[in-house]
Amino acid sequence: MSTANEVPFFFTRERTRLFGLFHDPVGAPSSIGFVLSHPFAEEKLWSHRVFVSLARALASRGHPVLRFDFTGAGDSDGSTAHASLETHIADLSSAVTALIGRRPELGRVGLIGLRFGASIAARVMEMAAEDAAPSVLRTAPLVLVDPVLDGAGYLQEVLRGNLSAQLATHGKVIETREVMTERIRAGGVVNVDGYEIGRSLLESVGVPDLVSLHPKAHDGPVLVVSIAQPGKPAKPHPALDSLAGAYAEGERREVLEHQFWREIKQFYGRASNLQALTLDWLGAHAA
Amino acid sequence: MPPEPRAITFRNAEGRQLFGTLHAPAVRRPDLPAIVLFSPGAKMRVGPGRLYIPLTEVLTDLGYVVLRFDVFGLGDSEGELEESLLVDVYSNIQVGRYVADGIAALTWLKREEGISRYIVGGLCGGALTGLLVAERELGIEAILSFGMPVTLDSDSAIPSKYLTRHDLAQLRRGYLAKLFNPEAWLRLLTFRSDLGTIFRSVVAGVTDRLRRSGGTGGAARTATLPPEQLANVNPLFPTAYFSFLGRGGRALMVFSEKDRMLGDWREKFVDLYPEQMRRFAPQITEHVVAGANHVLSERAWQQEMHEVARRWLGALPRP
Repeated sequence: MSTANEVPFFFTRERTRLFGLFHDPVGAPSSIGFVLSHPFAEEKLWSHRVFVSLARALASRGHPVLRFDFTGAGDSDGSTAHASLETHIADLSSAVTALIGRRPELGRVGLIGLRFGASIAARVMEMAAEDAAPSVLRTAPLVLVDPVLDGAGYLQEVLRGNLSAQLATHGKVIETREVMTERIRAGGVVNVDGYEIGRSLLESVGVPDLVSLHPKAHDGPVLVVSIAQPGKPAKPHPALDSLAGAYAEGERREVLEHQFWREIKQFYGRASNLQALTLDWLGAHAA
Repeated sequence: MPPEPRAITFRNAEGRQLFGTLHAPAVRRPDLPAIVLFSPGAKMRVGPGRLYIPLTEVLTDLGYVVLRFDVFGLGDSEGELEESLLVDVYSNIQVGRYVADGIAALTWLKREEGISRYIVGGLCGGALTGLLVAERELGIEAILSFGMPVTLDSDSAIPSKYLTRHDLAQLRRGYLAKLFNPEAWLRLLTFRSDLGTIFRSVVAGVTDRLRRSGGTGGAARTATLPPEQLANVNPLFPTAYFSFLGRGGRALMVFSEKDRMLGDWREKFVDLYPEQMRRFAPQITEHVVAGANHVLSERAWQQEMHEVARRWLGALPRP
């Protein structure tokens, strides 16, 4: 039996229509809600059920939760060709407002993000912390799962998807990433798995310090999660350690999971280790 | 301006809540059936690379009501899948796991929107689910199929076992492109390449050349298919397909040139049923998108697919 009502709806950010799914717990809700921030492009679809499972688990513990689709993703309007760091930040901020609209009594709204979605969550939290105006985000928990720190390197990784498509369809690479990058800078778009990368995204996200390691203003608890893959040796994560250390209440933890945001052999209905860690940590820090 | 899409929910036969979006045209056309797009594989109702989003716009512009929804255990819908491997998810879809959810979607359209005529379809597993529903639901008039699978996925220890001539030809072109690539030679000489597949692709190339020089046609191609190559044919497909066509159904079969589904379709289905294919030829429209991959990721491929669908829909008989 479901312990939450799940309500799909559309909300708007300026004139852009965004899709949201509100997990409304049955009974007296917690005063802390959560907005989940999904990763970019096809990583969103591969990780979708992990987000659904986590949202249901949080709602079963009494937390109102909003999952939503960024501009150019899922059922939301727009195209990634016109998306940018700014549109992503505005989308997530609008989603927080939409959750408050559904549950005005919420005292705090935590953010949980994966990969690029984690980077956006970190940026939105920091903007709220630096803003003098009161915010439900201030002192709220923040969970960053494998956040993208180096935006420039990340976009090159994204463009690698186009190289794979070239190899599959032409048997060879006919356009290198350098040429693709120049084409985007000149105002063109590059298609990666059906998602178009345009200049606004390249210029705003393609920076080495998408999430900087400088001391952070956010003073709520922060969990930075690194993913170790089964059967592979554990790696140090000095940058993620530094990121956790940049927060007053930050810590890094590691879980064993396959890279469920990519196409892998496993079907990931839920990331059990990640979900258990997140729920345990929130149980200790979001009371 | 078309009306805003509606986020909807409905229950399947087991009481699980399924989620979808309903898209209506600016002006409703009572003479047109509704179109239901089924989720492909393990992806949700938008399709890989959001393939269904621009397609939905094209269809609503033509006046169709379009429903996209998530089957149980996938996308936003309720339910948990027990499989731990993706290939098992695909296999279960291919034997009709989601037929009941498809029927629930049509029931919802009839009850809530008063629509009782349908076109069903989608990409890959979505197209197959549509066909398996069409076998049972008489209100379905046509199938809009992209990359229809006619075989069962298998986690075989020898993944190259079921390769068609089309697949082997694609691989052979890839190998030829790497002839002057030192890394490829290093892989070959250190036994890291799939030598069996390389050998089979070369043999297939030689036999293809011999066959062409002998002037034989498709029948000879069928005769040369080793039985093991046909072992992964989905036994549900021919029955469903010919049953649907037998009651007057129409089918648009769009394939991508660089997709193994095309070789499977031709070598593991069309070639095996020449009489039935001749009989139903007026009801079947086949189109191959040149150069395209399975998920039609490039805009130009999608636009070609849209144009083909537009023409086909425009030529469908009206009641």
